Amino acid sequence: MLLFKREFKRNLKGLIIWSAVIGGLILLILAIYPQFAKDQEKLNIMLQAYPESMTKAFGMDKLGFDTVLGFYAIEGYLMITLFGSVYAVMLASNILSKEANEKTIEFLLSKPISREQIISQKLLAIVTNLVILNVIVAIVNLIGFNLSKNNNVETETFLLISLAPFILQLTFAAASFVISCIVKKSRSIFSISLAIVFVTYFFSIISGISDKYKNLKYISPFKYVDAADIITSKEIRPLYLIIMAAVIIIGGVASYILYHKKDITV
Amino acid sequence: MNIIDIQNLTKYYNKSRGIIDVSFSIKEGEIFGFIGPNGAGKSTTIRTLLNFIYPTSGSATIFGKDIVKASKEIREEIGYLPSEVNYYDDMKVKDLLIYSSKYYKKDCSKRLVDLSERLDLDLNKKIEDLSFGNRKKVGIVQALLHEPKLIILDEPTSGLDPLMQNVFFDMLLEEKEKGTTIFFSSHVLSEVQKLCDRVAIIKEGKLIKVETMENLSKSHFKNVTITFEKGKPFEIELDGIIQKSSDKKSLKLLYKGNSRALIEKLNELSFKDLLIEEPSLEEIFMHYYEK
Repeated sequence: MLLFKREFKRNLKGLIIWSAVIGGLILLILAIYPQFAKDQEKLNIMLQAYPESMTKAFGMDKLGFDTVLGFYAIEGYLMITLFGSVYAVMLASNILSKEANEKTIEFLLSKPISREQIISQKLLAIVTNLVILNVIVAIVNLIGFNLSKNNNVETETFLLISLAPFILQLTFAAASFVISCIVKKSRSIFSISLAIVFVTYFFSIISGISDKYKNLKYISPFKYVDAADIITSKEIRPLYLIIMAAVIIIGGVASYILYHKKDITV
Repeated sequence: MNIIDIQNLTKYYNKSRGIIDVSFSIKEGEIFGFIGPNGAGKSTTIRTLLNFIYPTSGSATIFGKDIVKASKEIREEIGYLPSEVNYYDDMKVKDLLIYSSKYYKKDCSKRLVDLSERLDLDLNKKIEDLSFGNRKKVGIVQALLHEPKLIILDEPTSGLDPLMQNVFFDMLLEEKEKGTTIFFSSHVLSEVQKLCDRVAIIKEGKLIKVETMENLSKSHFKNVTITFEKGKPFEIELDGIIQKSSDKKSLKLLYKGNSRALIEKLNELSFKDLLIEEPSLEEIFMHYYEK
């Protein structure tokens, strides 16, 4: 577990910064809610003033600002899904390719460690970091929800909206990790991975706005973990769960196979 | 016992040549030099042995174990210094060396200090801030630290000043005393001359020759310089003359053959002065490369 410890230590600073920023933003948003809640009527009028396509795009048609959960789903959830995914992709695309890029892989591979162990320990470092980020955000949410009076959030729903972003991040992480096992240049790996995150996010918005493009939701992981859907149906749809699980498992397994066969030249 | 045994090892990167049909073995306790110009396939051979890259065909064993199947096991007992030393920029020298030693189940703390002191290496500096030569020293300590049975060094002396080179060579000889096998590649011939028991010469991916140092330097090659009498230049035709160059004053030959035949031939000629000497290794190698 030497490599895992090393990776954890090396990435700790990033984890602290990202957790502080994402957690801080969410806390800030939730802290505003009690003020909002006082002027409920005005708020609903304001909501109606938004164009329909926009309310649809952000799931505001299904939820309102009348509960703290609805407010969080619309204003805060994006922080942990979108920015959390950006963090996941940054971590996953870098953790292995950095060694090749900075040519430290020659050092690492000359040690008695198998390539499988390298992949396992790096993957474990990614998962651990994502778990910590999501636990921190869940704690922040718990505090934030308790700031308002009408904090009647069911445990099941709370767990679901805490778990969903984690699965989403794992999906993106698996995809970018497997890319980093194929592509040689580290910079392009990060760019490709980041592009995937933003393009699929864009798809999720488009699919919400226009019925014509609604099938785009099937290729956007952001739609898979849509807060409005989860809160109203109290589940992550099995189909979506299967797709994400498939990406994670296939990505993981493919990483082992690809990296095992790879010629490592620096 | 053979520590390294290479059988018909071939490596192509897609279609470009790495090494072709290389076979040789290294005995226990030997210092074995691997000589060739840049791009000849020295690093390719070493990287294949360490399983960074997979052989296209052929096979090799280290400690009698297959380099592909038992790579991890083999690496327990290997110390490796890459030609370009690159380490984690967030680490101090000390951090890296401790991190490195943790991969082997040995306590190396005393040896760490010893080796670093001898090489005059500052343990508390950040690796990022080190010069090329100092970085090389970190690499050397890293390779020797866990007292491996086999030390593989890829161009180890580049960047080291002559003083440090001597210290480093002393260290290698000490390791040899303990029975350690050392395999090192170089294109600097003089350093091979000083250290190695045997050398393998590689050119354009193919092994040209494996020879003991003794045989190589006493390979019956003679450098012959004949100074003409004024205004009386001549030519010599004789079997065994490998290279010839002449100007108005003298004739230079690289000769491999019977000395007596040469003397007899020279006896027929009149000349002012004659110099017969052992050629430097460089000249012998240049000869191999040009073939």
